[in-house]
Amino acid sequence: MKVRQTLLAYALLLPGLGLILVFMAFVLGMAISQSLGFFNFSGESGFSLRFWETMLADHQLWRSFWYSLRVATLSAILSVLLAYPLALWLRKPFAWSGTISALLKAPLLVHGLVAAFLYINFISFQGFLNLALVSTGLIERPLRMQNDANGIGVIFLQVWKQMPFALLLLTGAVQAIGDDILDAARDLGANAWQRFRKVVVPLTLRAMQGAIILIFIGAAGDFSFQVVAGPTNVNSLSQFMYRIQETSVDGWNSAAVVAVLLMATALVGSVLLAGAVQLLSRLGRA
Amino acid sequence: MSKLEIDRAEIRFGSYEALKGLSLQADDGQFVTLLGPSGCGKTTLLKAIAGFLPLDRGTIAIDGRDMKGVPPERRDTAMCFQSYALFPHLTVAENIVFGLRQKRLPRAEQVARLAQVAEQVSLQAQLDKLPSQLSGGQQQRVALARAMAVRPGVMLFDEPLSNLDAKLRDQVRLEIRQLQRAHGFTAIYVTHDQSEALAMSDKVVVMNAGKIEQVGTPEDVYKRPVNRFVADFVGTANIVPVEIVGRDAAGGTYAVSTPMGPAQVRSDEPPIADRVYACWRPEDAALMPGDTLGDNIFRLAVRARTFLGNLTDVSIGAAGGAGPSYRVQTLGFADLLEGVSYSFHVPPDRLRLLKEAVA
Repeated sequence: MKVRQTLLAYALLLPGLGLILVFMAFVLGMAISQSLGFFNFSGESGFSLRFWETMLADHQLWRSFWYSLRVATLSAILSVLLAYPLALWLRKPFAWSGTISALLKAPLLVHGLVAAFLYINFISFQGFLNLALVSTGLIERPLRMQNDANGIGVIFLQVWKQMPFALLLLTGAVQAIGDDILDAARDLGANAWQRFRKVVVPLTLRAMQGAIILIFIGAAGDFSFQVVAGPTNVNSLSQFMYRIQETSVDGWNSAAVVAVLLMATALVGSVLLAGAVQLLSRLGRA
Repeated sequence: MSKLEIDRAEIRFGSYEALKGLSLQADDGQFVTLLGPSGCGKTTLLKAIAGFLPLDRGTIAIDGRDMKGVPPERRDTAMCFQSYALFPHLTVAENIVFGLRQKRLPRAEQVARLAQVAEQVSLQAQLDKLPSQLSGGQQQRVALARAMAVRPGVMLFDEPLSNLDAKLRDQVRLEIRQLQRAHGFTAIYVTHDQSEALAMSDKVVVMNAGKIEQVGTPEDVYKRPVNRFVADFVGTANIVPVEIVGRDAAGGTYAVSTPMGPAQVRSDEPPIADRVYACWRPEDAALMPGDTLGDNIFRLAVRARTFLGNLTDVSIGAAGGAGPSYRVQTLGFADLLEGVSYSFHVPPDRLRLLKEAVA
């Protein structure tokens, strides 16, 4: 009877969960298979490690890997760091707090490409910022800020776009902490910074980890910000994957290697970052 | 141990006056209870003492030091919250030593104090558990231990027993009082439960609408209430308007006219007006045999009777059902018939004149 009920429960889950699993398995299976030489559209299909060997020896892949890793890590950390004080500020309602909260979350409604073009308009050689700086006499000649080599523009766009998401998650978590808990910490001698380290961070850790993981994964796989506002001397992993697929003879199979690496980076990187945050939280409350 | 002095404290929330120039003193090691109905300002006062709410006017001083501008984390107070406010991510032991870590006490001292308070509140077996794994009573003990561990000069209790069942409430009430006596800290205890206030306190402060109505020992506020509010809020009272018709100032006895009939009242203090309110407690009236008549004996009919086990609660009033009802409690079972008149005696020293004139 119990076995039957368990099977029935799984059967009921199948329409939703099954579809997700099938699609995931299909995409992952396809990417891994192609990276191992199967489904070769331009030659003989069959198991081979040569695509991995070729790609892993490619200097540009590693430049893309480290670049994407840096952009994703910094974007996730900065987004959360900016979201925390705002979430604490908006913890209790005050006049106009609803409007402020809505405005802060407005970037969620703006598509990444639109944001990237607006940003370019703002910082380009003849953009608003340069015009303003020149007209006020702060600089004599316009500055070259577009497509900066360090990817600062991409990180800025990532934070602009993703911080509201972190804020959304953290606001709920921070609001769930009772006033009495914070008052108790204060009563027992904890100042504002100690209350943040020892009470707020541990009690909002899950929300923070969720925000970090999702922002990291999104930023690691960024394509649109990178293409419009990113540096021209280095590709992001997704940009590199697209380029390899278009320009290489074994394009699909080589791109599949980059895709698998990108997915592994997103998975391992986000888990490591979430783990690091947990460790820091533990050390912080000691 | 610390001395707490509150002088003309005022707090406003917009146009609402939560505290109206309230003054109070708690001596070293005294157990002071703020007693009053919801919204009377007792928790506001407690939060002001802790430093969570600033005073708009007046001062709060601990050991003679004005607390104006001193944040809660730097006051010599510790609070036991109504909700317990335990840190859910920390174990019982970590909760208890939280304040000690903030004070950067040596580790050996932290361990020693943890062991001491854990033993005092019988939590030795629960130290590694999270608050969510404890019962309500155990959580309350953790909150108490956490506050006690920092050995504050003034301990603040915000209705700490209100979430416990009746039996546990009695037990923890006793424990708090024992711990307070053992450690000698000054305690400010907020409650709306008059039995808690009477059982635990050295001094009871009865509050109403942001003001103090009466300050005194539990016996004072119960036996010698100053006005109708105190008489009615602390215990149960029969309150009647009386008119002073004769005075024997030398002996402190007054002849009064009451709705129940003429009576004698013995009072140390003279009445504040010719027409004042007087009160008597349900247990102060004695049922007299037969048709006894005499001073302070009233013939009143039984309107309702409820047997409560250890006593019988009787509602009495003028025969025929018109006029006010009075409450009388007699020990054990009273074989009284509803609608029948009996003689009830209220001794002159139990019929008390309140310091409130009839408008």
